[in-house]
Amino acid sequence: MNVKKVLMVLLVPLLVLVFSTVDGAAQKQRGFDDKEIRVGQWGPQSGPAAAWGSVARGSKLLFDLVNEEGGIHGRRIKYFIRDDQYNPSQTMAGVRDLVDRQDVFAFVGGVGTACGLAVQKYLRQNKIIWIGVCTGARDFQNNPWLWQMWPDYFDEGAILTKHAVENMGFKKIAYLYQNDDWGADAKAGVDAVLKKNNLELLDAIPVEPTERDLSSQVSRLQATGAEAVIGIMAPTQAAIALRTAVSLGFTPQWLHSYNLCDFAMMSHITDGLWAKEGVMTAAFTPPIDADTPLMNKYRDAAARLAPDERWGIFYLAGVVVAEPLVWALEEVGPNLSREAVRDALNSVTNRQGVGPVLTWTEDSHMPPRKLQVWQCGPNAETIVVQDWIENDLTRP
Amino acid sequence: MDMKRDYYEDIELFSSGTILFWTVVLLVALFAAPLILSNYHAYLFNLIMVHVIVAVGLNILVGSTGQIALGHAGFFAIGAYATVLLMTELSIPFFAALIIAAFISAFFGFILGLPALRLEGPYLAIATLAFGLAIMHIIGHVELFGGRQGLMAPALNIGIPQLGLDWEICSEKGKYYLILSITILMTLFAVNILKTKAGRAFVAIRDSDIAAEVIGINLTIYKTLAFAVSAFYAGVAGGLFAFVLGFFDPFTFHLILSIIFLVMVVVGGLGSVMGSITGAVLITYLMYDLFKNVDEIPVVGDLMVAVSEQWLTVTGMDNFSMIGLGLVMIGIIIFEPLGIFGAWIRVKKYWKTWPF
Repeated sequence: MNVKKVLMVLLVPLLVLVFSTVDGAAQKQRGFDDKEIRVGQWGPQSGPAAAWGSVARGSKLLFDLVNEEGGIHGRRIKYFIRDDQYNPSQTMAGVRDLVDRQDVFAFVGGVGTACGLAVQKYLRQNKIIWIGVCTGARDFQNNPWLWQMWPDYFDEGAILTKHAVENMGFKKIAYLYQNDDWGADAKAGVDAVLKKNNLELLDAIPVEPTERDLSSQVSRLQATGAEAVIGIMAPTQAAIALRTAVSLGFTPQWLHSYNLCDFAMMSHITDGLWAKEGVMTAAFTPPIDADTPLMNKYRDAAARLAPDERWGIFYLAGVVVAEPLVWALEEVGPNLSREAVRDALNSVTNRQGVGPVLTWTEDSHMPPRKLQVWQCGPNAETIVVQDWIENDLTRP
Repeated sequence: MDMKRDYYEDIELFSSGTILFWTVVLLVALFAAPLILSNYHAYLFNLIMVHVIVAVGLNILVGSTGQIALGHAGFFAIGAYATVLLMTELSIPFFAALIIAAFISAFFGFILGLPALRLEGPYLAIATLAFGLAIMHIIGHVELFGGRQGLMAPALNIGIPQLGLDWEICSEKGKYYLILSITILMTLFAVNILKTKAGRAFVAIRDSDIAAEVIGINLTIYKTLAFAVSAFYAGVAGGLFAFVLGFFDPFTFHLILSIIFLVMVVVGGLGSVMGSITGAVLITYLMYDLFKNVDEIPVVGDLMVAVSEQWLTVTGMDNFSMIGLGLVMIGIIIFEPLGIFGAWIRVKKYWKTWPF
């Protein structure tokens, strides 16, 4: 009995020891030291949206390349990816871990509106540099520590419609959209352009994000006699809509969101229909098969450093969101600080890497308003049918 | 060993001085923890405690009353949305909003309990599953609920602003103390309820509902009561979760979350409050912390990254984490069907008879 009591008493210091091994309160947070700068990103590496996880891995390519070339002013970039499974509570856990424990300096990218919204306040409070949240939702404007790159969905809807009406001469336009803010934002753009041309939308038909049978929606579209359909929805549903339409003998010109401009993937999941029907999408980066020195450099680097990765548009998007950070770090020089990088990003003017042309100022961190329109060629290659064009209409 | 000599000994909160002592030590440690915790750990602890409340409540339904439920994310969502909307739309103070939200959730639990009177086993599982899914979609369709875009939680003011009593909690550690206090209250309530007439009726229904009815237990009342109590817990947890996360959308409360809740209860140990707590702690810790940071663990992490890069796909490491979580669950169910609580009982027996 006594032995037991002694053992129990001994357990107390053990417990204290266990508790004391938990990380103490964070020290002064800087995000970098003389040897490294810590950068993070979240993204769904597993779970329902895992296809978009390649964005986070694409950024790794650029940072690996930078490190291979000796880092930036003697500092290497240490890059962390946190898998959040597209679940905001996991995003929050991952981001807090990276900020509090790993002491990261900046975040790049970050897939998902909900995931981004969950952490926006926290990152802003902690003055963490954040570049290129991967969504065109409006909820991220007016944040002094976030620089946006993904075009506003309003502009996207407007430019797709402008192309259909003014370049292709279609008068009968219908709209098939995901029933949420994404669909509503883009619809405002569609409506604005149609109004300018004295046209009216034949019909706007909502799709639920979880729906997998779209035959009733497509039948309704067919009944309107639309020549062109603007579609704002996730890849799976766009594929289902296209298959259903073709099987019903309904073949309008489809124009989809820039989130669907990975033609190789879309063509694959539609068994080639995407290419056969010549589906068009908006786009805000140069085509992945573009023959420019920078694009070739990254493509070669990907083949060498990440041979298992497919050179796709989402992977490229990871490079795109990481580029401005590298520019800013290079410009700031050895005397690094958050404020210096902020000022460097605020003075980015008409600069382009493999993404859109960027201009940010202290007052405006808005994404670029210029987009392209692409068409899927017969072999799923990219045909640029409308070069960079700016949406000059403002949101009503 | 655990011999009881009279009824009052059986319903005592702490059956021995040892348990009392260790409970006090644990509580002191928990209250002192923020002194050394980082913000990240405070967030993780908050999430864990929210899950503990759900698991404790769910265990009353699944473990003690024997009614399977796969829709608790629905009650969780009701708690979160109701608390936030009551505060923002009707300016109701936090505590009142939390309690009303929990009662709304309990009311839905009661409604769901009605079909449960006629359904059992897999049929009940399907009914509750449908409930969880339906709630997620209904919320997504209503503009008031923020639609699919989700809702931002307001500032966490636990005073009564109307009377000029403002007490805003901004820091993660402030939230920690708030949630800890509520978790302790809810746990005590659960321990006690199982020692009351209602609690014994629950257990009787689980063991054999016909026999329970024969000895005079009103099945209608007690089955629906179990659902309502369990939903009440999920409602409180949801209300707290809204402030832990600060933002949520309908998809946050998807089917998988309901299943994770059930896993916590089963892994922890069915029918035991202690089991629910350990289950919730273990699963949340594994899901949100350990398996997310595997690659930063010295030696083991490097080894796993190397294996992953050699043999698995580009996202191998993260998928491996999910596999790891699955293996832990399977392992516990195979080797310790009573869950972590079962293992604890064995350790306790061994300890009591030590050194023999």
